[in-house]
Amino acid sequence: MTVSIAETIRERVQQIETMPAIPAVFLPLMKLLSDSGESVKLDEVVRLVSYDGTIAGQCLRVAGSPLFGLPKPPESIKSAVLTLGLRRVETILLTCCLGQAFPAKKWVLDPVIFWRHSLGCAMVCRKFSEKLGTADVEKAYMAGLLHDIGFMVNCLAFSKEFTGAVARAGELEIPLGEAEQATMGFTHCETGQALAEKWKLADDVIDVIAHHHAIEHSQKAQALVALVHLSDLLCRMRGLGYGYYERHMVDLIADPAWAILLKEHRELGGVDLVRFTFELDEAVEGIHALVATVFGSAPVSA
Amino acid sequence: MTIIAQPAAPLVAPAKSVEAVDPVYRQIRDLVYKVSGIYKSEEKLYLLADGCGRRMKQLGARTARDYWDQLTAQPSRDGELRQLLNEITIGETCLFRSQPQLDALRKVILPEIVAEKTKQITKRLRIWSAGCSTGEESYTLAMNMLEESERLLKGWTVEILATDLNDRSIETAKAGVYGDYAVRNTSDYFKRKYFSTVDEKKLQVRPEVKKLVTFSRLNLQDDSKMLFMKGLDLVFCCNVLIYFDGVSKSKVINHFFSNLNFGGYFFLGTSESLMKLNDQFHLVHFPGTIAYWKPSLKSGKL
Repeated sequence: MTVSIAETIRERVQQIETMPAIPAVFLPLMKLLSDSGESVKLDEVVRLVSYDGTIAGQCLRVAGSPLFGLPKPPESIKSAVLTLGLRRVETILLTCCLGQAFPAKKWVLDPVIFWRHSLGCAMVCRKFSEKLGTADVEKAYMAGLLHDIGFMVNCLAFSKEFTGAVARAGELEIPLGEAEQATMGFTHCETGQALAEKWKLADDVIDVIAHHHAIEHSQKAQALVALVHLSDLLCRMRGLGYGYYERHMVDLIADPAWAILLKEHRELGGVDLVRFTFELDEAVEGIHALVATVFGSAPVSA
Repeated sequence: MTIIAQPAAPLVAPAKSVEAVDPVYRQIRDLVYKVSGIYKSEEKLYLLADGCGRRMKQLGARTARDYWDQLTAQPSRDGELRQLLNEITIGETCLFRSQPQLDALRKVILPEIVAEKTKQITKRLRIWSAGCSTGEESYTLAMNMLEESERLLKGWTVEILATDLNDRSIETAKAGVYGDYAVRNTSDYFKRKYFSTVDEKKLQVRPEVKKLVTFSRLNLQDDSKMLFMKGLDLVFCCNVLIYFDGVSKSKVINHFFSNLNFGGYFFLGTSESLMKLNDQFHLVHFPGTIAYWKPSLKSGKL
């Protein structure tokens, strides 16, 4: 990437300031989520969420949806935590925050498709890391949820250029990142990184956002980047991609990311990838329903 | 108040009221997968339960638990599993059974094979429909190849070898006459182009489609005959190996591997897995479907 492109990206991302801001509770929530292993956080979560009635309301709506099978919708965040568990409520909140941060009308990509992919990837990351017995399952979820935020930046700050990239990707049936590189000269990885740095996200999450298509450049959290890269590919092959046919074959086990992950987690060798794929299919319908609940009727900010 | 960190749970719980299904069916599902490689997903668990129900009625088993005993205890075990597999794969035979497989074939695999063989003098594509039953899959492949005959496959010779153990099935296949149920996934375009009307309820595949397919009797366990199948680009073997025990299955798969050209592909049924019976094939993903790949010499992945 040339200096001038890097400069343009930074400038435009700075201008996102004028766009609808990220809800105030988002970053503190992210921090809470990152500090895994703590047991007493309920009061803090409740306190944070009470600042933002919209988020709290949306969270309760999701918690009360058929997805979670509660006999009746919880009446407060506190009772939602008691029935669903703190971690799950935190991730619901995080998801709702992101839905609020970006208005539906400025999109070049269909937001429903974008969120299906992001949530799908988050879920696959979580399932994968459960199979690997990694301690930080929630970190994996968060990395999956955020890995493509660069597309949101592109929608907001480079909408004209990005429109061309999306059209090219759909027409040639090639990965969106390839089309970005060909038409714009940079990708969502660079713009996402700029936003993540502006938001001061954790280093390992920034690493994922910046390098999930080029693991060889990742330095800080190679195993996490590899995990997200593989989950991303798998989602795109199982109906949770970007809404068009991607003409390519994916050989996950021969992918360099597989070897990187295997080096750190021997358990990966025992994963039945076919069954894992079939299990992912089972969750697709649930993801569609979740996206409809969280984002389908999200108020569009001015 | 202390909230103990919750064990990681999937964000998206399975949709619908799967809870209504007796947990024994999940045990049966896992057993069926282990023995046959057929995976019935959560949403299709009711189909498995229906299949078990029909068997239970015949056997006079009162509860799912009783039936589980019959499936796991000698001497009834092997026979009963076979009966159950019959029940749950019944009705899966139809034309255009798996569109994702056909998409992978036409959009990704054919262009690749054509590019690879472009320097060869004889441009020949050989496909084997192994365990072709009454011919639905074989003719579906033939029609799709005919669709490419003026484009990708211009100047190519296409041979589809279709074999089955059962003589009666082969006779039916040769006739190529199908009722409403068998053509339920066939589009009007294909019906008009490649079928003639027999009567109100029956269609027959046209001679130009039949010309591409050669039907013959073959036992996949007949090693000497298997050795003769050579130079194949693609092998399809859907819901056939599920009836084989581990040793025979492994033997047949090894044959398929040597029957295939380098760079060739092997497809199973849509919810079927090879498990870990062969470590030479690469498990690969295409949008919406998986296949097994015999790496090309160029790829250096053999």
